[in-house]
Amino acid sequence: MKFSDQFRTGWRNLSRQKLRTSLTIFAIVIGAVSVTVMLSLVTSAKSFLVSSAEKTGMDKRVIVTGTPGLDYRESQWNWPDGSGKKIDAEVLAAVQKVGNIESATLYVTSNMFDSYVVDGREMTMKNVGVEGYTPNGTIKHILVAGAELSDAVKGSGILISSDLASDLGFKGKEAELIGKDMTLRYRKDMGPPEAKKSDEKAKIVGVTMSEGGSMMSVDLEWSVAMQTMTWQENSGPNGQQSTRTESQVDRNGYSSIWITVSNKENVDAVLADVQKLGYGAAAGKEEIDTQATAFTIIGAVLGGIGGIALLVAAIGVINTMVMATLERTREIGIMRAIGATKKTVRRLFRVEAGVLGFMGGLFGVLVSFGFAIGLNQVLNKQLEDSGIADRDIVSISPQIALVVLIITTLIGMLAGSLPARRAANMDPVEALRYE
Amino acid sequence: MAFVQCSGLKKTYTVGDEEVKALDNVSLTVEKGDFIAICGPSGSGKSTLANVIGGLDQPDEGSVMVDGIDLAKAKDKALSEYRNSHIGFVFQSFNLQAHESALENVISPLTIGGVGKKKERRERGMKALERVGLSDRASHKPTQLSGGQRQRVAIARALVNDPQLIIADEPTGNLDSSRGADVINELKRLNAEGITLIIITHDASVAAQAKRIIEIRDGKISEKAGAQ
Repeated sequence: MKFSDQFRTGWRNLSRQKLRTSLTIFAIVIGAVSVTVMLSLVTSAKSFLVSSAEKTGMDKRVIVTGTPGLDYRESQWNWPDGSGKKIDAEVLAAVQKVGNIESATLYVTSNMFDSYVVDGREMTMKNVGVEGYTPNGTIKHILVAGAELSDAVKGSGILISSDLASDLGFKGKEAELIGKDMTLRYRKDMGPPEAKKSDEKAKIVGVTMSEGGSMMSVDLEWSVAMQTMTWQENSGPNGQQSTRTESQVDRNGYSSIWITVSNKENVDAVLADVQKLGYGAAAGKEEIDTQATAFTIIGAVLGGIGGIALLVAAIGVINTMVMATLERTREIGIMRAIGATKKTVRRLFRVEAGVLGFMGGLFGVLVSFGFAIGLNQVLNKQLEDSGIADRDIVSISPQIALVVLIITTLIGMLAGSLPARRAANMDPVEALRYE
Repeated sequence: MAFVQCSGLKKTYTVGDEEVKALDNVSLTVEKGDFIAICGPSGSGKSTLANVIGGLDQPDEGSVMVDGIDLAKAKDKALSEYRNSHIGFVFQSFNLQAHESALENVISPLTIGGVGKKKERRERGMKALERVGLSDRASHKPTQLSGGQRQRVAIARALVNDPQLIIADEPTGNLDSSRGADVINELKRLNAEGITLIIITHDASVAAQAKRIIEIRDGKISEKAGAQ
């Protein structure tokens, strides 16, 4: 029997039992959609992660700290407490001599402030870090509105993360914040009462996409100044007055040095060179890899859940085909009597089951594409509201679609094998007698 | 060598605890162009003999050669090919595929045998339907046909591959006498055209029209004088 005839016969037999066929296909569709959508969501999230990381330069970043052994995330939030090696301008100079470096900056974070005020609205600054760095292009943000820090706004320009903008009531209209004045109020417990500093006046120049934490960014010199306190104190037995200056940065050094490596391929070399200097160094790409691995694991788990749905669907195919062999016992007898070999009968049922799998896979993939379009519309709105330029971040990769289609067809054929064998091995004489 | 040559055929079935000898040392020869009736009461083994000659069943012992093909030893593929292109079956209950039209039923041996293109198959199918006078019923489903017409469709199906042998197992069993007579006449006409015909029947009037009558009882055969 020719394959085209087998296919035609299989298709015809399936269409004789429309409801049962549709339900079986529907079960496969569910399995196919679960696998396709889950794998696609994970791959989409992964590529979004990687593209975001590339935009901020994270893939080419190395962070140098005084404490060897810290990973990237720890380095990012490193707080110099005097336990590690001190990071200062000399270290920066030494690091800059290492090859393959595009740019580098000292980096410091502080939490000197109690609250900030915009438009007369005062917000507490709990868990809000203020980072300071030289705006020389080493550190890049994904901007929701406004611009990066620059020398032109030294000592006044400030970036705030989008979650803070939301707190201020500017969600979706972050651009309106640009140019607004901001007052930063110092904590009361900083230094002796005499050292009480007056509020800092800032101007918002940009809103950055929040990367998991609330953050404000200012230029390095200003940040150092914020962390320096000066006050008069009686220092002699005769009550002489003297000026005392205390700077956290002087005492403990900077938090870290952030480096942009000239080329992704050179990251490992830079890491090794910096570590040779006796400092800790961690690469952003390690963090990207860690997260990508996490996504892969999540993908495997979700894909596995989808796989279970497919497995259940396969049982449905077996059930359908067993029913079909029982119902068509006499037909099988007739076919055998007029010359169908066992192989022909077996193939006929297997092709039929394969058609079930293929149709399920095909509809499943189509539904998945539809799902992605729908999901993107929702996400695009959200991305637009958050001021992120990316659109259509969920995509069903054609490779995944093709693989799912092939797998469902194979699963159908495999599930059909057992009933097909049963049909083929029927005694034709018995089958013809079957009522 | 005879067209059909059976010798020492034995076939035993187990029904419950009992062993039934369906064929007990049966030897039989049929010449080309012959028309034989195999008759006997039900359970006598006549259908088993027909199935063995028709390549649907194989004997436990003995040999059966049809047109030089050793059916007792043949494997599934050879047996299937034999059923497909060397012989035609006609059954008591017609055994047409209910969901297919008369024409589709008729051409199904060609489809299964992978013969020619669709167009060629349909032409051959129509020719076979013409031979049984049913070309105007080609697109009818079996349920839209009378019993006699159904059996003629089954005969057309048996004819479509130009077989040399037609085995008809109680072809009139489900028909009234006048329609039964039509079917027998149809088969006789084919026999006159040179097709060897074996009819299984328990109807004496049908058997009487055969050139040879083989009676089978408890798996053993005896030959009576036929119409010739």
